[in-house]
Amino acid sequence: MSANYSKEKLTLVNELIYEIKVKEAMSKKVIFFKENVTFREIQLKLKEKKISGVPILNNVKNIIGIVSIDDVITAFDKGYVDNKITDYMSRDVITIPQNISVVSAIHKLERFGVGRLPVTESSDSKRIVGVITLSDILNRLLVVVQSIAEKVEDKEIKNTQISYDLIKRIVKKRLRFEVKGDDFDNAGRVASITKKYFQNLGISKDIIRRIAIVCYEAEMNICLHSLGGSMIIEVDNNNTVIYAHDKGPGIPDVKLALKPGFTTASEKIRALGFGAGMGLPNIKHYADKLEIKSSLETGTELKAIINLGVKNEIK
Amino acid sequence: MKVKDLIRLLDAEVLCGEDFLDQEITDCGASDLLSDILAYSKDNYILLTGLTSSQVVRTAELTGAIAIVFVRGKLPPQEAIGLAKSHHIPLLKTDNLMFASCKKIAKELIKEEKNK
Repeated sequence: MSANYSKEKLTLVNELIYEIKVKEAMSKKVIFFKENVTFREIQLKLKEKKISGVPILNNVKNIIGIVSIDDVITAFDKGYVDNKITDYMSRDVITIPQNISVVSAIHKLERFGVGRLPVTESSDSKRIVGVITLSDILNRLLVVVQSIAEKVEDKEIKNTQISYDLIKRIVKKRLRFEVKGDDFDNAGRVASITKKYFQNLGISKDIIRRIAIVCYEAEMNICLHSLGGSMIIEVDNNNTVIYAHDKGPGIPDVKLALKPGFTTASEKIRALGFGAGMGLPNIKHYADKLEIKSSLETGTELKAIINLGVKNEIK
Repeated sequence: MKVKDLIRLLDAEVLCGEDFLDQEITDCGASDLLSDILAYSKDNYILLTGLTSSQVVRTAELTGAIAIVFVRGKLPPQEAIGLAKSHHIPLLKTDNLMFASCKKIAKELIKEEKNK
């Protein structure tokens, strides 16, 4: 591991490896044997558990030896595979204490060319509390990196939730659009642009959706029912204000127009999927505040306000 | 259920947005009234409709639909397909009627709900 990676500057990873203790990375489930078993029994276990060696412990779980897959192969070779391991196992066991950095474990694994290290309770104890391999270390490292990444992500989400700078900028700059009457090909463009604009501010999805729908319905109203007009979208003190003005002909009874299902739409409008008498009720539903002024002489002025959900007031 | 599962489920043809078929469907809005869609739709939903105007695509875009299915074998005009392409919304077309399409999708969503 370190042989391959030390050439590159993985500063963060290096630091993390130093911080990780053996006991955090090791497997606590230790597969072990007592010394009264044969090599064949061990070989079966190694095969079953797909491991490369097992420690041999005494009655108080102190380590007294180790049998690796190499030892088993040698036993096969020399014909003592059905003998007890006692006389053959290596008693010179390399272990690692649990309260030490995994860096030491990596060094030991490399220096002695072994795949696993039995972990002892402390440096002057022989009691085994776990086993550590390179893949245990790597797993632990990935978990730590993952949790760091999640923290960074959380922080980023918080940071981008409301971009005050951007909002401040549009407080000064408002969006203004001309909306033509009867121009069905372009209807919806204002809402679409407005939605994209607010998405860049990092405002919550739900609020953007409400802004987009209010814009769209107001835009469709100008397009479907009026001689044309304009829309202005601005941010004022934590609120989005959507103005839709048209040149007429005006709404004779605003109260009636706000009633769900009331409509004056033509067949042509209905064919587009509109004209169900839901436009103004929808705006009312999605806006925090709605004002409509209409006159048969000067047309209709609609003002819808949607709160942006920003806690601090923007000055 | 993902958007791409609709191809098999409804024997549907993908008109555009092949790269965006991997999204998970959580809800479905079926209507020929766009105002109703605007009033009631939820996030990550698919829009089923027999309307083919560009406004369908606009509505889908503004309400956050992840795909549109045109039922009854209706084919939307090129402008609608172009608009959908630019907003990365997959368009699908099926010969199934509205109710039959809804039935099949609902069955699948209920099955998923039960398996949870």
